[in-house]
Amino acid sequence: MLIAASLVPLSFPGGRDLAGILPELVLGGAFLLLMVLDLVIPPSKRTWLAGFALLGIAAALGVTVWAWFDANPGRLVYAGSFAYDRFALFIDAILLVSAALVVMISPNYLNRRGLHYGEYYALILAATLGMMLLAGATSLMVIFLAIEVLSLALYVLSGFSRHEERSQEAALKYLLLGGFASGFLLFGMALIYGETGHTQLAQIAAAIQSQTTIAVDPLLLAGVLLLFIGFAFKVSAAPFHSWTPDVYQGAPTSVTTFMSVTTKVAAFAALVRVFTYTFDGGGTHFYQHWEPVVALVAITSMVVGNIAALTQTSVKRMLAYSGIAQAGYILIGVAVGPVLLPSGQSSSFGTIGVLYYLAAYAVTNIGAFAVITIMAGRGEDLDSYDGLRGLAYRRPFVAASMALFLFSLGGFPPTAGFFGKFLVFTAAINAGQVPLALWGIATSVVAAFYYLRVGLLMYQRPAPGAEEYRWSRTGFAGSAVLVVTTAGTLILGVLVVLVYTAATSSLKGLIV
Amino acid sequence: MNHIPWLTLLIVIPAGAAILLQFVPRRLTAVVKGVTIFATLAGAVIVTLLLLWLPGNKATSGPLPLHFQESHAWLPAINATYHLGIDGISAWLLALNAGVFLLGALAISRKTTDRLRFYCTLVLLTQAATTGVLLSIDLLLFYMFWEGMLVPLYVLLSNWGGDKRGPATVKFIVYTVAGSLLMLVAIIYLYVQSPSGSFDLESILAQPITSGTPYVIPLIHLTTFTPKELAFICFALAFAIKIPIVPLHTWLPDLYEACPPAVLVFFAGIVSKLGAYGFIRFALTLFPGEMEKYRFVLAGFAVLSIIYGALMALSERDLKRIVAYASISHLGFIALGIFSLTNNGINGAVIQIINHGIIISALFLIVGFVEARTGTRDLGELSGLERRMPWLYFFFLVATLAGLGMPGMNSFVGEFTIMLGAFQLNWVYAVLAGGGVILAAWYMLRLHQGLMHEPPKPRTEGVHDLHIGEALLLAPLVALMIFIGLYPKPITDISTGSVSTTVTLIQPAASNPGTQ
Repeated sequence: MLIAASLVPLSFPGGRDLAGILPELVLGGAFLLLMVLDLVIPPSKRTWLAGFALLGIAAALGVTVWAWFDANPGRLVYAGSFAYDRFALFIDAILLVSAALVVMISPNYLNRRGLHYGEYYALILAATLGMMLLAGATSLMVIFLAIEVLSLALYVLSGFSRHEERSQEAALKYLLLGGFASGFLLFGMALIYGETGHTQLAQIAAAIQSQTTIAVDPLLLAGVLLLFIGFAFKVSAAPFHSWTPDVYQGAPTSVTTFMSVTTKVAAFAALVRVFTYTFDGGGTHFYQHWEPVVALVAITSMVVGNIAALTQTSVKRMLAYSGIAQAGYILIGVAVGPVLLPSGQSSSFGTIGVLYYLAAYAVTNIGAFAVITIMAGRGEDLDSYDGLRGLAYRRPFVAASMALFLFSLGGFPPTAGFFGKFLVFTAAINAGQVPLALWGIATSVVAAFYYLRVGLLMYQRPAPGAEEYRWSRTGFAGSAVLVVTTAGTLILGVLVVLVYTAATSSLKGLIV
Repeated sequence: MNHIPWLTLLIVIPAGAAILLQFVPRRLTAVVKGVTIFATLAGAVIVTLLLLWLPGNKATSGPLPLHFQESHAWLPAINATYHLGIDGISAWLLALNAGVFLLGALAISRKTTDRLRFYCTLVLLTQAATTGVLLSIDLLLFYMFWEGMLVPLYVLLSNWGGDKRGPATVKFIVYTVAGSLLMLVAIIYLYVQSPSGSFDLESILAQPITSGTPYVIPLIHLTTFTPKELAFICFALAFAIKIPIVPLHTWLPDLYEACPPAVLVFFAGIVSKLGAYGFIRFALTLFPGEMEKYRFVLAGFAVLSIIYGALMALSERDLKRIVAYASISHLGFIALGIFSLTNNGINGAVIQIINHGIIISALFLIVGFVEARTGTRDLGELSGLERRMPWLYFFFLVATLAGLGMPGMNSFVGEFTIMLGAFQLNWVYAVLAGGGVILAAWYMLRLHQGLMHEPPKPRTEGVHDLHIGEALLLAPLVALMIFIGLYPKPITDISTGSVSTTVTLIQPAASNPGTQ
């Protein structure tokens, strides 16, 4: 606290509150600074902006790491509407690392596509800021605001390729459907507020617990389910996924890289805080009412995502459908979250599984998208499967790391993805929901098929007459990103204990 | 000697060599191959030492006596351990493993192998994984290696081989993944159910898991499997796909056909044996009651493999597919020995695992040599090699005799012991398996005569004999075929103790199956 006192004057009214949002403050400051710098820096030097953005992210990450030790135990700030706890900080760390990796691969890609505008970095930071707010939000109002902040930035980013119709279409689609989902979210919040009289999660939890077990308020339940639909849209779980493939394909690849990972991470963080820890209902077993719905959405996502991915011929669409399927696997962890074992102990396996899966997914998926971002040729996206054909003969290391990411997405050991899947399956079986795990298994087999098919392409020589895709240079930043993601994928797959311990500790510190 | 983690070294040496290779310039193919050979040789030396020390080494006490055990915490929060250990059975499999990879490394052709460094890296990584499978006692660790093995294998198989390698590889991987993911569910189930809450085979065996109440299908009140039975079925499926047992075999002929011979040496040599090993190490020990209950069904499928494989081997024309189906037939014998659940049967299976590894490696090397010289694998286009390749003729003759189970050759010892076990199970199985031996003589002789005798055809004109390097690859294999056939005692000396320990785990279950 001493350092906090030196950083933020605690005697100042609201000083303790400000200290609680320090990582967000730093990132917000960087965002504003970047807006100004964009005006000052000449267009030819825009790569500098990426450097400044990286500095801002690094500073925020540093503060987050420091706060991790400070927030033990955590506390609620701003009258109970924001949590300064290890859970939020764990998510913040994933988000910031992801954002940093995306910023690193962006300049080269944007230059090649002719899209290097200065506001790009500011928008990335703004979206990250919204996500960090979402991770710590403990009030329905803050949740909504955070979601709008991140969504608005992402709407603009997905339409960033201004002269391309597909990108415009993606932005419009995302905006319309996103607005629709926000409506669901807001309507759900209104119902919950109407039934409980509170917007603060802690008080909502208390209100739910005071209900009788027999008669559950139908309006409350409707509100909870509407809220869930809103989140399901953000994590792109089927059947609320229809925007995902088009937006992922239409948006510039670096933006897809960013939003495919970070939106999911932030929305799942909120999902855990709101559903697993607020709507569990304690002794009333309120969770029994929404868990089947979550389980159903999880199964639908796994089935729809994996089967639709089978028939794709575009890498970005394949990864989009794979992302839908991954959302299904992560939802398993939510569906069995607050489980009370027959022995009377509660088990947080499911939630640990969610956190581990998110970390694994972040590092793997960024890696996979980074490969197609870095390799994209001049003026176009590397999109079709054919673009990867023969990659292994020209760029053996890039191809090898791409293969590793595909294996990780498929859940093969010794990669990060295996432990993500392993933990959520363990959680399901532990909770007695074996069928959920079996659905996961069955769809994983399908998944192995399409991931490996893409892998095969990289190792095939192009047909004699056929032209090879003109891959770009990897570059220093690109190599660095690939090295980090490859190492991360392996470390999360072997030295599990590092992130596992952090995830456990972050859950212990979670406050509602 | 006790302070050196020998078993870890066995995994680390190939993995470390694979990393080391990345720092060797790609063009120095001699160095690349040298490092690979040296790493596999080092592994072979350590395994030999372990085999020599094993009788004098004090085993752990407990239901599963282990030697050279190493146990460290890996993921304490969920009780997963880094637990390695060997016994008399896995020691021999390790020896086979080290042998076939050494052979695989020696068989690498520097001239014809494209991207040699990448190839060697993958071979070494595969070895690290298969070694890990044989050493792991912790179920989660076992699964990591079992499934992780597919990663280098996938890249290896999809990069080198025939035209149809892509689909064949994907078929193999998807098949295997389906089985092993089911096994993962079963492993998690055992972990959740075990009183000690552990993945460690030793602690699970110390406090057996109850089988639970059987599921009853509502309305028709049909009693089905208990949860433990379902878990057993998951394990059995995973291992049966890997062996493979008919009707789960369809990936094998396609894959072997597309696979280059140098890969087949260790793929057919050890990877397919891991399924059999899995049955002995995990299915028998964890599910004695269930094995007892289903042994007749399983043995039935094993016999089906023997007969079906033999018939298919008779009907094929492609050399590789003939050997592939012969392999299925032989693997059926191994499975039959295991499923007889008798000392004889399992001892025979262990011997036969080694034998098959030796014979199949030799046969695939020979097929590879013939194909490299004539450019075809079609039996219809090949004949009369006897006069062109006298040395090959000699080696092939011994391998053929070994393959058909001639007395005095190694297969005879194994198959005979397995038949003894099968008789103890039920004479019908032994008789049917005997039919498989007759068919084996038929298809092996058809293969041998077709290739060697009869007047030469255009394809075989001007073919030269084995050169010294190739002959030296085959010579030790052929010597072993004869040596084991005459004197199999060294193998059984070490394995018998562990086999009877495993069998005694089943016996109490057999006398009162209700309690398990």
